[in-house]
Amino acid sequence: MSVTKRHGNPLVLALGGIFFAIFAIFAIFAIFAAVPQAAAQGGEPSSFAIRGARVVAVSGPILEEATVVVSRGMIVAVGKDAAIPSEAWIIDGKGLTVYPGLIDGLTDVALLSAGVAPGRLAAEISPAHAPQPAASGPEDRPGATPWRSAADEATLSDKRIESWREAGFTTVVAAPKDGIFPGQAAVLNLAGDRPGGMVVKGAVAVPLSLNPVGSFRSFPGSLMGVLGYVHQVWLDTEWYKQASAGYAKNPRGQARPAYDRSEAVLQQALDSKALVLIPANNSVQIRRALALAERWKVRAVLYGGQMGYETAGEIAAKKIPVLVNLQWPEKSKDADPDEPPTLRVLRFRDRAPSAPAALARAGVKFAFYSGAISAPKDILKAARKAVDAGLAEDAALRALTLSPAEIFGVADRLGSIEAGKIANLIVADGSLFAEKTKIKIVFVDGRKFEIRETPKPAEPTKNGPTGEKPAEEFALPMAGGAQ
Amino acid sequence: MIRGTRWTTLLAAGILAAGIAIPNMAQTQAQTRLATVYAITHAKIFTLAGAPIDDGTIIFRDGKIAAVGAKAEIPADAQVIDATGLQAYPGLFDSLSQMGLSEVAAVSSTVDSTETGDFNPDVVAAEAVHPASEHIPVTRAAGITHALAVPGSGGFDSGRDSGVITGQASAIHLAGWTMEEMLISKSVAMGLDWPTIETRTFDLSTFSRKDKPYAEAKKEYEKKLDELADWLERARHYAQALEKGSAARFDRDVKLEALVPVVHGELPVLVFASRARDIRNAVEFCEKQKLRMVLAGGDEAARVKDLLKARGIPVILGPVQNAPAREDDPYDQPMAQPAELSAAGVKIAFASFDNSFARRLGQQAAVAVAYGLPYDEALKAVTLYPAQIFGLDRELGTLEPGKLANLIVTNGDPLELTTELRFLFIKGQLTSLENKHTRLYDKYRNRPKP
Repeated sequence: MSVTKRHGNPLVLALGGIFFAIFAIFAIFAIFAAVPQAAAQGGEPSSFAIRGARVVAVSGPILEEATVVVSRGMIVAVGKDAAIPSEAWIIDGKGLTVYPGLIDGLTDVALLSAGVAPGRLAAEISPAHAPQPAASGPEDRPGATPWRSAADEATLSDKRIESWREAGFTTVVAAPKDGIFPGQAAVLNLAGDRPGGMVVKGAVAVPLSLNPVGSFRSFPGSLMGVLGYVHQVWLDTEWYKQASAGYAKNPRGQARPAYDRSEAVLQQALDSKALVLIPANNSVQIRRALALAERWKVRAVLYGGQMGYETAGEIAAKKIPVLVNLQWPEKSKDADPDEPPTLRVLRFRDRAPSAPAALARAGVKFAFYSGAISAPKDILKAARKAVDAGLAEDAALRALTLSPAEIFGVADRLGSIEAGKIANLIVADGSLFAEKTKIKIVFVDGRKFEIRETPKPAEPTKNGPTGEKPAEEFALPMAGGAQ
Repeated sequence: MIRGTRWTTLLAAGILAAGIAIPNMAQTQAQTRLATVYAITHAKIFTLAGAPIDDGTIIFRDGKIAAVGAKAEIPADAQVIDATGLQAYPGLFDSLSQMGLSEVAAVSSTVDSTETGDFNPDVVAAEAVHPASEHIPVTRAAGITHALAVPGSGGFDSGRDSGVITGQASAIHLAGWTMEEMLISKSVAMGLDWPTIETRTFDLSTFSRKDKPYAEAKKEYEKKLDELADWLERARHYAQALEKGSAARFDRDVKLEALVPVVHGELPVLVFASRARDIRNAVEFCEKQKLRMVLAGGDEAARVKDLLKARGIPVILGPVQNAPAREDDPYDQPMAQPAELSAAGVKIAFASFDNSFARRLGQQAAVAVAYGLPYDEALKAVTLYPAQIFGLDRELGTLEPGKLANLIVTNGDPLELTTELRFLFIKGQLTSLENKHTRLYDKYRNRPKP
């Protein structure tokens, strides 16, 4: 049964027309109800077939005029001759391209704590926001809330979820912010009935920040202090693991190891193969992070990576993956017009978008993340800059799909269009990296989201859900400085 | 120098007789009044008012130079110093310093260089100068006989914002028991720390750099400038009222009164500015306000050298052995800038902007010579030019009859680090070269060997 034959079948066309009419009614209903998810739950079928589309599977060759069948949240069939179940809604894919849903490799989108101004509420959500007593050393665990979990802090009330989705992002790797050990990252799908439903996988990574959290009187007030501190925490965690195991076996006659919440949760996370995300944007930071990864004996992933054009070879030699910040260094709008940027800064601005191409050439596994980009439409634009600077389009796409899925250990369920994977898809009217391409439909967990023709202006650009504070934690400093 | 040695012997004997010298002994006995008439003979004299005199005599009496020349008659009552093989120069002038205003920068109780508040025109440096400062004899031993003490010149040291109008700069001799003895002129310039559009600030509460949006920084700058213009405007009205003297009840105001000579163009403003934009803004402002401007600091003065030349604005340059102001500047920008300014016809002077490192003044000029500044200009930039800039050239700057006898006798070029200073006269009095450094040298040299 060929696709062309089906096209010719008047019955199917008529059925399609009826389906579209029904869908249109639901769509109108959905707009009035203003809760698209609820409408989707009530009215939409659980099965779709996108037919006759160009399918960019990422994990395999591009299929022309192929069909993707989605059922109960999963991709059930992909191919030219994929069988379409009778209950499936059929979407005519002629002239359309289907991609896997995009993954934002590191963000705080969809987190409760994102953008919450320091205060009482914030303090309840995140102890890091609460006034902290002065710390005098690593033993006081300053800036450490590794028990915070993005899976627990996931929320559907973050307005950025919709705008991220409209830009083609179906999944984020969300990480709590604030402090040196802010918490644990989780892979979240950007739709669900309840926050818990968003979680694809929890505790995938332990992000680190190396910014001193102390001040004049409080530890750590310097980078060297932070590095010493983090090292001590790893050692303590390892000791805790061994001591508590030994004690559990034979408590008699042994002093019990003291309980430490940070050590306990970090041990648990590392045991379940959580990655450790080390910030490293410029070459000094990158080289330092490579050395730290070795010293700390953790499964390290660098984030930042914008000077990878200088250090790609060194990163490749260590086989450490990189999350590349897509917020390329640019002139600040607030800059002093009479203060010309230094050559060093200009060179960095010019060359940063070539970092992904350099990483690709060197064979480094890398994924993209949005950094402090606040308007999601700019994320793909930024990826396009990397393409303009020499990165192959398919490599750029991979860095937004399968590569982050592989890095975070969810490639068995996300990142490509394959039967058995989660039905996170985007349907666009052209190449994702072409200027004029519009994303028409986004599927998250098999739920269909039509993207309106004139999407409302992106969320107040610099803000989190409460509009209080720019989400800049993952924005790294420019090339300057040794940090 | 047969009879010259007598004085040193006497002084040495005196110290010995007194037993253990208290630390300030040398300071307080720095000058002797044994003779008021001196004749320095057979010296090569660099008068800076013409060609050097190869074998000349300088005669000075009661603090002032009486005669300079190849054939000056030696008065019968003169103390004669045979300077065969030696050279005589005018004493060096550190034309912007913290001399006497600050002793130990880290000890705030010894720092008196900056007043609180943004507008302090009534503040006079001379009133704060500590005559017994240890920095004075140390500086003197480097051939520097007089200096300008400037309020607000040590903004960073004092840990305080130095404000906008920092106060009046005083010219002082680097010797004397009291301020009255030291004073050359109580007020030679009004310090003006030019407000900058500062987008990079340092947040002391978080101890980190903080970037301010340009628009915000510019607004703050404009506010300060308006305030400054307002002060000057009020000073003009005040001056008018003073002249008329007719007002029934006239409220006197020390601050406005201090600004009157400034708005009349009698007292120059010593404008601290380093970036080219700040310098341009300051020049424009001073021209509009009809103020006489002297630029201080001027890290980027060479970028606006034509403007400075056209307006006849002299520049007091800070230490040249610094890193360039901008990352992309050539490494030698600070060292080469004096030559560039001088070649463009801008009058320059060197100054330490400091107290403990004021003694490096000569080397500062010498480094500029190594980077292209003509030697004569360098020498004048630490003697004659600063005297001219601050209107003190009738008393200082050259070795000419009628001028103050602030002079040095050396065995070579005073800008050269290895040159030995043999005699130093301030106000015509032979002045001790002993200082804290020499005392420490002697102390550790005489340490018993194991």
